[in-house]
Amino acid sequence: MRRVAVVGVGHTKFGKRDAGWRDLVQEAGKLAFDNVDNLEPKDIESFFVGAAQPERFAFLTHVAPLAAEMLGITPRKIIARTELACASGQAAIRYAYAAIAAGLTDIAMVVGVEKMFMPDMLEAQSNMTCVLDREWDGVNGLSAPPFFAMCAQRHMYEYGTTREQMAMVRVKNQKFASKNELAQFYGKEFTVDQVVNSKPVSMPLCLLDCSGITDGGAAMILVEASLARQFTDTPIYILGTGQASIGNLINGLPGLANWDACRIAAEEAYRSARITPDDVDIAETHDCFTISEIIEYEELGFCKKGEGGKFVEEGQSDIGGKVVVNTRGGLLGMGHPLGATALSQAIELFWQFRGEVPKYRYVDGAEIGITHNLSGSASVHSIMIYGRG
Amino acid sequence: MEYRTVKIPDKINLPTMLDFYPLQTEKWTRVSRFFENLKEGKLTTTQCKACGKLHWQPRIVCPECMSDDLEWVELPKEGKLHAFVESIVVPLGMEQEMPMLVGVVDVSGLLISTKIDDAKLEDLEIGMDMELKVVRVEDGKQERYWYRFRPKK
Repeated sequence: MRRVAVVGVGHTKFGKRDAGWRDLVQEAGKLAFDNVDNLEPKDIESFFVGAAQPERFAFLTHVAPLAAEMLGITPRKIIARTELACASGQAAIRYAYAAIAAGLTDIAMVVGVEKMFMPDMLEAQSNMTCVLDREWDGVNGLSAPPFFAMCAQRHMYEYGTTREQMAMVRVKNQKFASKNELAQFYGKEFTVDQVVNSKPVSMPLCLLDCSGITDGGAAMILVEASLARQFTDTPIYILGTGQASIGNLINGLPGLANWDACRIAAEEAYRSARITPDDVDIAETHDCFTISEIIEYEELGFCKKGEGGKFVEEGQSDIGGKVVVNTRGGLLGMGHPLGATALSQAIELFWQFRGEVPKYRYVDGAEIGITHNLSGSASVHSIMIYGRG
Repeated sequence: MEYRTVKIPDKINLPTMLDFYPLQTEKWTRVSRFFENLKEGKLTTTQCKACGKLHWQPRIVCPECMSDDLEWVELPKEGKLHAFVESIVVPLGMEQEMPMLVGVVDVSGLLISTKIDDAKLEDLEIGMDMELKVVRVEDGKQERYWYRFRPKK
């Protein structure tokens, strides 16, 4: 396998944007090309677009060539759009990585984008209900908030996790997001009291326990490692990956509070990068809901099973703790434009390793970082490991 | 400016595929027996005759052993509540049901998601006994049936 480097990135403002699907593609793409030297759109050999539901949110399909056209890209090796619900963006990065590592292409661009605000927000909400099996789970009123609320209920029941510990995840991530101008929830901080007293959505989850509906785009340029210095003096590298999928319908899952696929994906990611969880300095995990981040601490091996609540309460996931989690603000603070989220996470590591983040969230000396996404009924977990060198 | 007006309809019928309930007849699915049995008040599923695996959802091929020699078996009409939630997140066409009680019921070891009827949030607790309730889904075009659960009386 060949080594793969990230040499340039672009990240739009996340939030309720006065912009359409193809505007977000153009914004992100331009920022990425502006971020690298010696690279033009015509140099991009392969192009991957992470987009979860353009069919429903923008009534567009076959979107990869549309995005390529908007950016003046004419791929001659590989072009495709990837869909893996909330992990659609990581699927795109993963395929670009795999194609370069395998020697099928040398220079690839990945764009992740989602336009989720619609004139009728009930329609947007409805779109998310077919992410779970529409015919056997969605039909029963299950979409992400009620599903993850039941995960929270089971985690509280089985392990004694508290309501306040869940709220602490939002407080921590919001502290980072409050100063991140790219974040949907920029400029606000929340207390535990504010989180637990916010509007009930699917109890025990309240509005501030949930990531938002968000518009946003992001882009990355990946190259075979020996080419990286042509485009930047400070590339970062993909060190390993892991992915696992177990079940889909609730009956097929290992459990609501036990995400075995996350543990298996993490083990494979650590093995492939030849590291252990103790080597991870910084983690971008999929905090679609506060409970998610707590379960992820456990399954990613940062703490023992059942002790995720204690981990956040003790500050182990904050600056100065065992592993700093979600310095850009997480999905909770940044918002969650489905196809763009994984790229936003990777871009945070790119900026962290290059010392390009403001001091308030800089993890000094970080060498190894992971990005994690779950998708659907937490049936699939996707993990990539990035390194400074 | 003078414009020619191009009219688009301000209302259209709800497209069939957007109402969430599965298509149920023989013409559209090979597990139509599930829905026929449900109409008779029976919750059924498939079990593999080769390896004995009990499935949920009902299937035409056993995912354990790839046998297609399956039989229909009736499940108990009762189960235990595994998890539940009151949700205000409702899809299009279910607005009138908000807030909605949703749960997972353990029936013979199968974890079956369901709407919960005839209860308030404060009536529910993990482990309580639940019973099957069959509902008819009306849309003016086709007759369909679906299952729910409610606290056991």
